[in-house]
Amino acid sequence: MIEAQVLVIGAGPAGLAAAIEASRAGLAVTVVEQRETIGGAIYRQAVLGAPATYQPPAVRARWRRLVHDFAGCGITVRHGSVFLGIDGDGLAIVENRGTGHVEPVAAKAVIIAVGAIEKVLPRPGWNKAGVSTVGGLQIMMKETGRAPEGRILLAGSGPLLIAVAAQMARLGNAPVAVVEAGDPFRHPLTGGGLLAYPTLLAEALFYLKDVWLRGIPWLRATTVAGIEAGADGLVATLHDYTGTERRVAVDRIGLHDGIRPNDFGLSTPPGTSPVVVTAGDCREALGAVAAEADGRRAALSVIRLLQQREEVGTTAALRRERNAQGLLSELFAPVSARPLLSGLTDDTVLCRCENRTVGDLKALCGKEDPLSGREVKHNGRFAMGACQGRFCAENTARLMAELRQDAPAPSAVDLTGRRWPIRPVPIGALVCASDDTSKQE
Amino acid sequence: MTGRFFDWNGSAIPFREGETIAAALTGAGILHLGDDSVGSEARYFCGIGACQNCLVRVNGAIREACLTRAVAGLSVACVERRDHD
Repeated sequence: MIEAQVLVIGAGPAGLAAAIEASRAGLAVTVVEQRETIGGAIYRQAVLGAPATYQPPAVRARWRRLVHDFAGCGITVRHGSVFLGIDGDGLAIVENRGTGHVEPVAAKAVIIAVGAIEKVLPRPGWNKAGVSTVGGLQIMMKETGRAPEGRILLAGSGPLLIAVAAQMARLGNAPVAVVEAGDPFRHPLTGGGLLAYPTLLAEALFYLKDVWLRGIPWLRATTVAGIEAGADGLVATLHDYTGTERRVAVDRIGLHDGIRPNDFGLSTPPGTSPVVVTAGDCREALGAVAAEADGRRAALSVIRLLQQREEVGTTAALRRERNAQGLLSELFAPVSARPLLSGLTDDTVLCRCENRTVGDLKALCGKEDPLSGREVKHNGRFAMGACQGRFCAENTARLMAELRQDAPAPSAVDLTGRRWPIRPVPIGALVCASDDTSKQE
Repeated sequence: MTGRFFDWNGSAIPFREGETIAAALTGAGILHLGDDSVGSEARYFCGIGACQNCLVRVNGAIREACLTRAVAGLSVACVERRDHD
């Protein structure tokens, strides 16, 4: 049994900020991190000898300060450790990937900071090898200091696509095009609102200037309607707002339709022990600046909750980031009304882990009595697979709502439920844990 | 080349110290990581251990290629290859 006053899950900006704040308040903190490094997805560092990622000076400065403060606290980090949840006895369950065993942790408080995941809308072929999330392409680029090779298409929506296009260009392989469902130029008034957020605006222009200077095509008001295997790589079918269709042959495709909290399965056990607080993007996906502020808020909340006082509410810093992200969402709103998922071909895969299609869901939802989200999971295996619904539950719920407008619209959590383990774990690792615990008792 | 290699389904894959298995395989031009038990193409997708699309067998244990560091001499294979059981 491992003991800690405060257990922090995840060493991204929220987790690190929470750990620093709790440690400075005199609490004994342990951080659990799935990787061998700290920084999370946003601050992934290059392997030794590889060039650092092209990022605005303000972003690099934030990371330097965070890593300096964290190092000054002497906090224990358990690397290669995957958080599985909090069991009925209030123990945090962590899989040690080094030993292959599960380790229970007795903590007075647990701060969960497991970040965001990217949203990816289903399109025919999105499930093929060679298709990644745009964030996935970016993380590998940060780690290796190399741009993805070959002809790369970035598609979906949002400022991340521009950042990754600029970073790829700096590493010598600009994408063939950036396909953007929205068109920020159609919202000059909203764009003007960004003047209230100079850091964000500077960051946007930092990347946009590279895209302009290098002439990377930014195809706005355009979507990738489908992906097929080609003679030599992949072929993407693009639809623009005029209805014009064109096909592009590429080697790899990055998709990104926004981010959402990685809150899947997270549940608080009944009773009062331990105190559990979520922090950063897994609570509300607002990006790195907000995550750091929220990490500090979570640590202060833990301190107050341990004293039987109330949790700290939303801070001004958080509200500011929420407003800024709201502006970006308006700027990048899709120009054409989002096409209905029910318009996808029946063989379009919705749930990749269990290989369940639009047609499979239509058959399930065609029954006389509408099925609940939970029934669609149990009877149809949607959101049942290894990703635990992270990449299909929201899309499945949306299509269910389109198909059964007579029934209450289900949500992603109606399909997934909330229970641990929040990540797949070998049964052998769990069995080893019970052995170890019994020996100690 | 640094002289560091791991085995991927019988081929030697070079990597740099600190790289993940996913980064090394991608660097070697390998995007299709085999087919899983329901016939879906295994591949590098989210990069953060969330999607489980890049599961491979690392010395027999099923692991996310995007989270697992490459180590010289590792035996890495598609999930559906049973040579290591």
